[in-house]
Amino acid sequence: MTALPASPATGRPVPGPRGLTWTVLRLHRTALIVWGAFVALMIAVLVWNEVGTADAALRELDGCLRHSPCTIHAVIIYNERIGLVGTAVCYSFLAVAAFSGGALFGRELEYGTVRLAWTQSVTPGRWLAAKLAVPALALAVGGTALVLAFRWAWSAHPELLDSDWTSDHVFVARGPAMVAYSLCALAVGAVTALALRRTLPALGVSVAVMALVNQVMEYYRQEDLVKYWTPHLAETGILLALAATAALAAFALLHGRTD
Amino acid sequence: MTDTAIEAAGLGRQFGRRGKWALFDCTFQLPAGSVCAIAGPNGAGKSTLLALVAGLLVPTEGEVTVFGTNPGAARERLAFVAQDKPLYPQLTIAETLRLGHELNPGRWNAAVAEPIVAGGGLDPHARIRNLSGGQRTRVALALALGKRPELLLLDEPMADLDPLARHQLMGVLMADAAENGTTVVMSSHVVAELEDACDHLLLMGGGRVRLAGPLDDLLAAHVLVTGRAGDLGPHTVVESRTTGRQLTALIRPNGPLDAEWQTSEPTLEELVIAHLRSPAAPELTLTGETGTDADTDTDSDSDSDDTHTDETDADAEEAAK
Repeated sequence: MTALPASPATGRPVPGPRGLTWTVLRLHRTALIVWGAFVALMIAVLVWNEVGTADAALRELDGCLRHSPCTIHAVIIYNERIGLVGTAVCYSFLAVAAFSGGALFGRELEYGTVRLAWTQSVTPGRWLAAKLAVPALALAVGGTALVLAFRWAWSAHPELLDSDWTSDHVFVARGPAMVAYSLCALAVGAVTALALRRTLPALGVSVAVMALVNQVMEYYRQEDLVKYWTPHLAETGILLALAATAALAAFALLHGRTD
Repeated sequence: MTDTAIEAAGLGRQFGRRGKWALFDCTFQLPAGSVCAIAGPNGAGKSTLLALVAGLLVPTEGEVTVFGTNPGAARERLAFVAQDKPLYPQLTIAETLRLGHELNPGRWNAAVAEPIVAGGGLDPHARIRNLSGGQRTRVALALALGKRPELLLLDEPMADLDPLARHQLMGVLMADAAENGTTVVMSSHVVAELEDACDHLLLMGGGRVRLAGPLDDLLAAHVLVTGRAGDLGPHTVVESRTTGRQLTALIRPNGPLDAEWQTSEPTLEELVIAHLRSPAAPELTLTGETGTDADTDTDSDSDSDDTHTDETDADAEEAAK
């Protein structure tokens, strides 16, 4: 069978990830491709917006200084694109929660494939660690790229923008809180699925919990918006603490369930 | 004196805090290298017992050890094929075997796993989700055997297979186990498929162990008697039926039998069915090491059950007259 990595006959290992890392990457290859495509698409839209359309929008604004009435069609589209990308980047954690509670953990527990994984030579603890670490790395790398791209696009032509940094999606998409939301959603999905052991309930509860967390954060955020970084980093810290708590709870649930 | 593969002591598992006890007070020993059948009706606790031995469940009470350690620590040395043959539907067969290679570093032997898949004429690039139940069973067994386990736990392994595949895979399984000295434990509610393959029997019913021990010893400890309805005296009657004046009974003889009885050794199926029909029949656990056919009823509870069963049977005989 040619697809096998290292036959005992040749003994030459194929380069690339091995063990649990290979397993998690292969099992969730589709999700990884979708995430990569999302990151690439969002960055492409931002780059096109700045490189391909900003000049036309600036000419429109310039024209408005001299003529009245004037058209600001390109300015509106420019702002809509940034707003759309910012919203998608900010609320992508809801999709992460759905993936984690559903496909990543819920489905394995509901259909019993965990019994296959846990009777190989890896402990359930290492299985859970890999199932959290590999997606967390992908979310951190992709999220960082998205935040950097959004920060660049948002500050490139401030004179064209019709919203400021206090908008909810801009507030999140411009800093590490965006990554913290994804990591929190990942851990919440894990603990929910381990507790409920059903795909759809775990998916629904994970999304609902993350939407609630976000609502609470948005509510308290409004009281303290004179500076950007202090409330942003405070929110990031709270989300990372929540993520760590959820991950520890997932390990505790797992430990009580298996030998 | 052989090593012990599995030892269960007072093992019990309850589902939910006030839920049903799927298994309770389960005590037995299985020597390494034996091939053990777990028989019993649906809901007898077979799957629960296998999941406990595989370390997938934590006992509510009692304990189970595998090769002298807890099942979690013996994870590398055992393989488990669950009843519904869970496999990842999005993987191909080749990728599923690669998963076995990746998750069992230093143990995996592709030269064992690949012929099992090839024996079913399966395309390695076919996806698991497109396979039939029997084909999935084949892949699940290939994954289990490729790990080179010292203890192989199989829950209803042959249920989805056609007779030809069943015969072929059972042959592969038994040859592999004999060659490597693998301990095999397999559950089934089809008794006939176990008789040729197994040397140990664990009969379960209602969450309890009903019979446990070397198959030959268990069969030798029972006698099928036929004759004119009469007193079976000191013997333990497992089941008796009267047709007209003819009495047929499965007994555990305690002392010599009257010459008027026709006697024969029961088959595995007769032994199992008689016990399933009589849930009140006392438990019997034989250990191969005693080297005798002596009835070693485990505790005094069993003895009081004896009396109870005898009385019930006597009552039934009265009623029949």
